[in-house]
Amino acid sequence: MSPQPQAAVGAPLSRVDGRLKVTGKARYAVDHEIAGAVHAVIVDSSIGRGRITGIDTRAALDHAGVLKVISHVNAPKLPYQRNPLPTAPPGERLHVFQDDKVHFHGQPVAVVVATTLEAAQHGASLVKVTYDAQQPSTDMADAPAGEPQKYARGDTDKALEVAAVRMEMTYDLARNNHNAMEPHATTARWDGDKLTVWDKTQWVFGTQIELAVVFGVAPESVRVISPFVGGGFGSGLRAWPHVTIAALAARETKRPVKLALSRKQLYFGTGFRPTYEYAVRLGSDRRGRLTAMTHDVRAETSSYETFLESVLIPGQMLYSMPHVSQEYRTVPLDVHTPLFMRGPGYTTASYAIESAMDELADKLGLDPIELRLRNEPEEDESSGLPFSTRRLRECYAVGAREFGWHRRNPGPRSTRDGDWLIGTGMAAGVYDTARNDAQASVRLDADGTALVQSAASDMGPGTYTSNTQLAADALGLPMGKVTFRLGDSLMPPAPPHGGSWTMASVGSAVQDGCDKLRKQAVKLAVEDAKSPLHGVNPDTVVVRAGRLHVKHNPARGETYQQLLARNNRTHLEAMGSFTRPTGPERHSLFAYGAVFTEVAVDARLGLVRVRRMLGVYDAGRIISPKLADSQALGGMVGGIGQALLEHTVTDHRDGRIVNANLADYLVPVNADVPDLRAIYLDGDDRDADPIGVKGLGEIVQVGVAPAIANAVFHATGRRIRELPITTEALL
Amino acid sequence: MYPFSFTKVSDTRGALAAGRRGGRYIAGGTTLVDLMRETVERPETLVDISDLPLRDVTVTERGGLRIGALVRMAEAAAHPKVRTTYPVVSQALELSASAQLRNMATIGGNIMQRTRCTYFRDVTAACNKRDPGSGCAALKGFNRTHAILGTSDACVATHPSDAAVAFAALEARVHLLGPDGERSVTFADFLLKPGSTPNREQALRKGELITAVEIPALARPLKSGYLKVRDRQSYEFALTSAAVALHIRAGVIREAKVAAGGVGTVPWKLPAVERHLIGERPSQALWTQAAERAADGARPLEHNRFKTELLKRTVERQLRIVGGTA
Repeated sequence: MSPQPQAAVGAPLSRVDGRLKVTGKARYAVDHEIAGAVHAVIVDSSIGRGRITGIDTRAALDHAGVLKVISHVNAPKLPYQRNPLPTAPPGERLHVFQDDKVHFHGQPVAVVVATTLEAAQHGASLVKVTYDAQQPSTDMADAPAGEPQKYARGDTDKALEVAAVRMEMTYDLARNNHNAMEPHATTARWDGDKLTVWDKTQWVFGTQIELAVVFGVAPESVRVISPFVGGGFGSGLRAWPHVTIAALAARETKRPVKLALSRKQLYFGTGFRPTYEYAVRLGSDRRGRLTAMTHDVRAETSSYETFLESVLIPGQMLYSMPHVSQEYRTVPLDVHTPLFMRGPGYTTASYAIESAMDELADKLGLDPIELRLRNEPEEDESSGLPFSTRRLRECYAVGAREFGWHRRNPGPRSTRDGDWLIGTGMAAGVYDTARNDAQASVRLDADGTALVQSAASDMGPGTYTSNTQLAADALGLPMGKVTFRLGDSLMPPAPPHGGSWTMASVGSAVQDGCDKLRKQAVKLAVEDAKSPLHGVNPDTVVVRAGRLHVKHNPARGETYQQLLARNNRTHLEAMGSFTRPTGPERHSLFAYGAVFTEVAVDARLGLVRVRRMLGVYDAGRIISPKLADSQALGGMVGGIGQALLEHTVTDHRDGRIVNANLADYLVPVNADVPDLRAIYLDGDDRDADPIGVKGLGEIVQVGVAPAIANAVFHATGRRIRELPITTEALL
Repeated sequence: MYPFSFTKVSDTRGALAAGRRGGRYIAGGTTLVDLMRETVERPETLVDISDLPLRDVTVTERGGLRIGALVRMAEAAAHPKVRTTYPVVSQALELSASAQLRNMATIGGNIMQRTRCTYFRDVTAACNKRDPGSGCAALKGFNRTHAILGTSDACVATHPSDAAVAFAALEARVHLLGPDGERSVTFADFLLKPGSTPNREQALRKGELITAVEIPALARPLKSGYLKVRDRQSYEFALTSAAVALHIRAGVIREAKVAAGGVGTVPWKLPAVERHLIGERPSQALWTQAAERAADGARPLEHNRFKTELLKRTVERQLRIVGGTA
């Protein structure tokens, strides 16, 4: 625990980069002014599977400004060495322009490079590609699955046989796309055999390693810069084919190249939350104590890679029960490879499990919260580990009180407001608290300002701001004297910006580095005969507003500037680090939440409108409350989209994404998200990490969709087991 | 986007001259430029008509309302005369698009809007409207948002405009100016059902310019309103919609103007519903019975079967909202 007073941490501060963003001064991947840059536009396959039989580039090359068209016909063979990262999914990634095979609709088949964006776009439309098309397989319902991932404890078959209450349900979830505001985009420049890339990415090292192994160069030869990311939700956790294409185009044309995917291309050029089918069988006693649950899960993946995510964990530990059996199969289809999307796996599982719990509560005539309380485990039954913190009971209690849960008439279809049926619903949420190794450099200059750097990313949650807050308090400086920089592979390493572990990992490294630097300064002072702090016990010295002083005698002290100037030091430096504890975990580490919502359903027109939503979170310490709210509200909006609107539609005749634009792929607008509120239990989980946080970015979307589905049931008496819940399902 | 030339004209004579030479008129550009980017539209010449003097809303001699073709959607919606005499028009406009688009798009352009059919907007898909004879990918494709009325085997795309539904209900006329002079046509004649030529969408002659939309005088008092049913609450095209205007005197419906949107290849006037209402007294039973006729002749597709029932309920609801049940 830091002896430093807490001033910035816990204060509802605005984004430190907010002004840059609203004034347009924040530079995104293709905003950087790179001398001599030209533009590249990808030509997408218009078939869903088959072979390219011809590429006619004459018209494109004749168009003014077009420099080059690259395809498998003229592209150099690229090394495409194995990607060593553990995050690379099993299988072999798509190799761009290396052969004539088409694996999915929209696959890049050529790239046009031109002196202007307009010329490149028009050139791309002039490339004539002919194909030998085959029927793609894109419908999970008809396709065979691979070998399952399995988990089992106890004997579910027997337990279900003897269970007093048995239920069996299947839930379907549509494919979702991340749809961040900034499209994926890359600027690439070669200087000899050194490659510099400005990329939209949630992990500069991911892009660095992928480019190094694709082009067969040393990782040190590739520098990746990504100071701003215009939203991600997970889609930037992988270097997609266009990143390679940008670098290839730059090498082939010997010019810096800018390549931005169009909104349409994002639907097949980057990943997505896969289509899921989640079947549940459960058994309980008559009082609602669960005895057994089976989970049979099917999810789509590509024909060339197996995408897996943590969809099985909630079923193993959210509720207490002796018998659990799970099988998780992926179904290879002629589609692009999916990727993690906010609350990966957990949002999917929670929709099925929390809907099933609501169905059980209804069957038993139990209050949904009471049912959950009856199944609250004492320890993590998947591992036998004690929970570091698990405060779901408090989440329920606080949520019920603040939401007014117990004022509801428990009967389905019992409340009406004119044409609208009113319903309330709730669901629990869980997401694991992961941490990864991270480092941060800290430099304090003689002018009393500090620079903290780590190659992290800020796709929106506020990495810049929260780490500045941590650093300001640890260094004893005002916010305005601390600059936090991120997003450059030359900086000290940080893990991928996902999985809600950035604060725990990078934040802990920042805390460590700043603590080290402050102690260095204190040591310098107490050992300096000319310092007013000379001879003082260093443990009693604190720094506040840039001034070191004895904690209980503020008059005795001096500023960083005075200290450094007198000692002829231009600056002090320290390297902070966080290392994930090795060996088995001693605690079960998860963030929890409870979501409550009220919906109105037009009884005749089938429209569902969310009226209000409350999330209560057990997420450990909250470093930056204002940005936490931004996260929580954003997670709720994402969940509302998942529950009611978002659905990537594939035309199974040819594998085309039919609604690859934001007019037809619906995300919530302001009118759809009226009254959202988040409450954080006051927490500090030092078993999780040195700064006591449990991660917030994912948990805030987990549980939203089932809370809405449960509220729709309560409003209408109709259980819809498919997301999104549409008008036609309720007519 | 295909290369094009761009000229700006300052009077209608200049516009007509440019139009006769094959130029495409552009005002707000909110549809046309989108479609040019998708290479669905490939005009060689754009003629910017924004400066033409077609921006007035005027009351006609007989008490109707004439809305200039270049009046912005937002201006038309907020115009006091429109708001007080034809709320159905104001509401239809305000439930359209987004504030930004309504500030750019014009009334003339709005009724010229092209369909949102995603296959039409994807140049790699078969579409008879975009590429006559290539087929219709929507017929057996994903057709949840498509039309159930006025369709043909060649095309099932909806007309996307909300305002046009209100204009159709009110039996507005479209004023045109062409090389051969002025003429006006009814809404029913202006927008064309696809038949075997879905590429022909309006009864426009070469170089003709829309100058105004005129709503005829209707008997007073007139109650009217627009209901739009859609998945999200704003910024989405209609799954179904209903424009209703009723003239009720002494407790009896004397005139009824009803049209539906989101369901037809053109704004869909509902004469059978109107006939059922005239001479009757408002009641929930009347609305339900009248609305039963709303989907007469519907030909639903695989994914839009729900629209038949939803349409009836939409019309029923809006009849009740406008007509009450007293």
